[in-house]
Amino acid sequence: VSEPDRIPDRVNDGVERRLDPRVIPLQQLTGQIASAVIAFGSIAGTLILWVEGAPLWLLLPLWLFLNGLLTWHSQRWPAIAYRHSSYRVDDAGIEISEGVYWRTVTNVPFIRVQHTDVSQGPLERRFGLGTLVIYTAGTDHAKVTLAGLEHGTALRIREHLLPRETSDAV
Amino acid sequence: MPFEQRLHPVSLLFALARSLRAFALPGLIVVATRGCSGRSSGPFSAPGGWEFWLMILLIPSIIAALARYLSFRLCYEETELIVRSGIIFRNERHIPYARVQNIEAVQNVAHRALGVTDVRIETGSGSEPEATISVLPFGAFEDMRRRVFAGRTAASAAADVEAIDASAPATRTLLRLSTRELLLCGFLENRGVVVVGAAYGVLWELGLVGWFWNLVGGNNLFDEGPIEQFLKSVAAGRRPAASQILSIIAGIGVLMVLIRLVSMVWALLRLYDFHLTRTGEDLRTRFGLITRIAVTIPQRRIQTVTIRQTPLYKWLGRASVRVETAGGRKGPETSPANERAVIAPVIRTEDVPALMTDLLPGFELANLPWEPIDQRAFRRAIKPRLFVAATITIGLGVPLGWWTLYLLPFTLAWATVAARIFVTHVRWTLTDDVVGIRTGWLWQRLTVARRSRIQAVTKHESPFDRRTGMARVRVDTAGATDFSHRVDVPYLARDTAMQLYARLLRA
Repeated sequence: VSEPDRIPDRVNDGVERRLDPRVIPLQQLTGQIASAVIAFGSIAGTLILWVEGAPLWLLLPLWLFLNGLLTWHSQRWPAIAYRHSSYRVDDAGIEISEGVYWRTVTNVPFIRVQHTDVSQGPLERRFGLGTLVIYTAGTDHAKVTLAGLEHGTALRIREHLLPRETSDAV
Repeated sequence: MPFEQRLHPVSLLFALARSLRAFALPGLIVVATRGCSGRSSGPFSAPGGWEFWLMILLIPSIIAALARYLSFRLCYEETELIVRSGIIFRNERHIPYARVQNIEAVQNVAHRALGVTDVRIETGSGSEPEATISVLPFGAFEDMRRRVFAGRTAASAAADVEAIDASAPATRTLLRLSTRELLLCGFLENRGVVVVGAAYGVLWELGLVGWFWNLVGGNNLFDEGPIEQFLKSVAAGRRPAASQILSIIAGIGVLMVLIRLVSMVWALLRLYDFHLTRTGEDLRTRFGLITRIAVTIPQRRIQTVTIRQTPLYKWLGRASVRVETAGGRKGPETSPANERAVIAPVIRTEDVPALMTDLLPGFELANLPWEPIDQRAFRRAIKPRLFVAATITIGLGVPLGWWTLYLLPFTLAWATVAARIFVTHVRWTLTDDVVGIRTGWLWQRLTVARRSRIQAVTKHESPFDRRTGMARVRVDTAGATDFSHRVDVPYLARDTAMQLYARLLRA
């Protein structure tokens, strides 16, 4: 697996590549926001249980433990997931590998691509990242998403994926 | 050579009828419930004249229909079909002939009396038809079919002009179902439950359920009828009388026969005069007694073909065959749209190979090299089944009492047998043209997907897969529904899976 900083202009070289490492802090930030929202939300739930008569010595440690676990997970998981995610573009298509425990390798041939999107949310923009979305006429993989690419790389891959006019792609 | 086609003038009538129907059904229910519940003083019993208000509501739809009729134009260009509509908000849709997946004509009784038809043009995009045209003269539909598919061949294969003579392609009948076969088909499909359920729903809507039960059971079926007595005696811990048990068994038997009969009548109405023909490279089906449907599926649009057999089908030497195309079909299996994917509702087993060769060029059903899955698959497959069986049996013990634990050996044995049957009957195949899977022993299904139509290939490895060195390979095709039989091969040895995956990508 080669590191992403050495990407040449030609992306369809069949080399397996990691995502942009900035995806780790991005996902950590997203995770922090999500766990903060959940923590505040669960305060209300805990208060209701307390009013209903649940003992505080049980509720408080449980709340702390669950939220601590969530925060810890959101900090550790992105790096682990990063090690198991990669993609490869060659002349025939794009191959995306992901999943830590349940591992999936998905291959979409170029000639089956209906259209593509490159999107960039506000947080992604801060980190200079983009998400490539590939649409096919398939059923399970009608929409294949590859998040955590450097925005320019996502655009370059998209250039390669543009549908060829000679066929109907289904 | 641009040629313009307009809507048939009676399309105004049909548009009017459609909007009337949209208003009439709620109106009918209002009238019916008022009739049932007597003279209530609810909001719906306001003094007459709702007919008048209904007419006012119709005015916008009349104007819309008129605008549509006046502005609608179908234009056949060299390589594409252009649909123009709208006077104020103009809309122009270009449909390249090469993208048309299939063309359908739907005619109900009124359409047929007037010699017109609804036409649906489907492309690979989404679950909706690309264009729904209501209504065209039937001749114009034939004309469209000819022009679109002739244009398609010209556009896609300009090189081999001699291949298909668009003006006079030979038509060959592949399958024609007699009344006897249709009744058999209804018997085998057993869709009666759906029809009975729908009819019951309508009765419920109209508030006629009580009336219906009075008609059937003479008001005492549930009050002091046999079912009530039976349940009471069981609940009281008494042993029910033999006559009670017999009458209930007889009742269930009669109901099952009735449902089969309904299913047979339903199949006869739905599929009456079923024809499957082949014209050039197009497959055409035509069927229906009340609503007549004509479907055209270009052969090269076929994504997958599924052959299905249940024990009854096997016993009678029959099978059913359906195809999937990319023309979006996302509804449940029983929806009317899905009916149209059935290319042979019932066919003699010995005729299946010939039909398959017509559906997939050069395909020989008998010569497929079927491969088993990994030998260790049974040890993998049995574990989740044992787990589910044990959980359900023990879980049922909570509300029903712990006597259910006596059932545990039986459910576990059943899970073992089911796992054994599953793994010994899964077979996969890969040839130059197709990839396929066959599952089931008594309830058998066989699906082949054209390799040139594969949308995506996936290799899955769960933690259990990795521990045992196995993997699963899934092939994604267009047009499958949630109920489709998919090419999804589990429990492959890792090397075999890698090979299959790599070979599929080399298509």
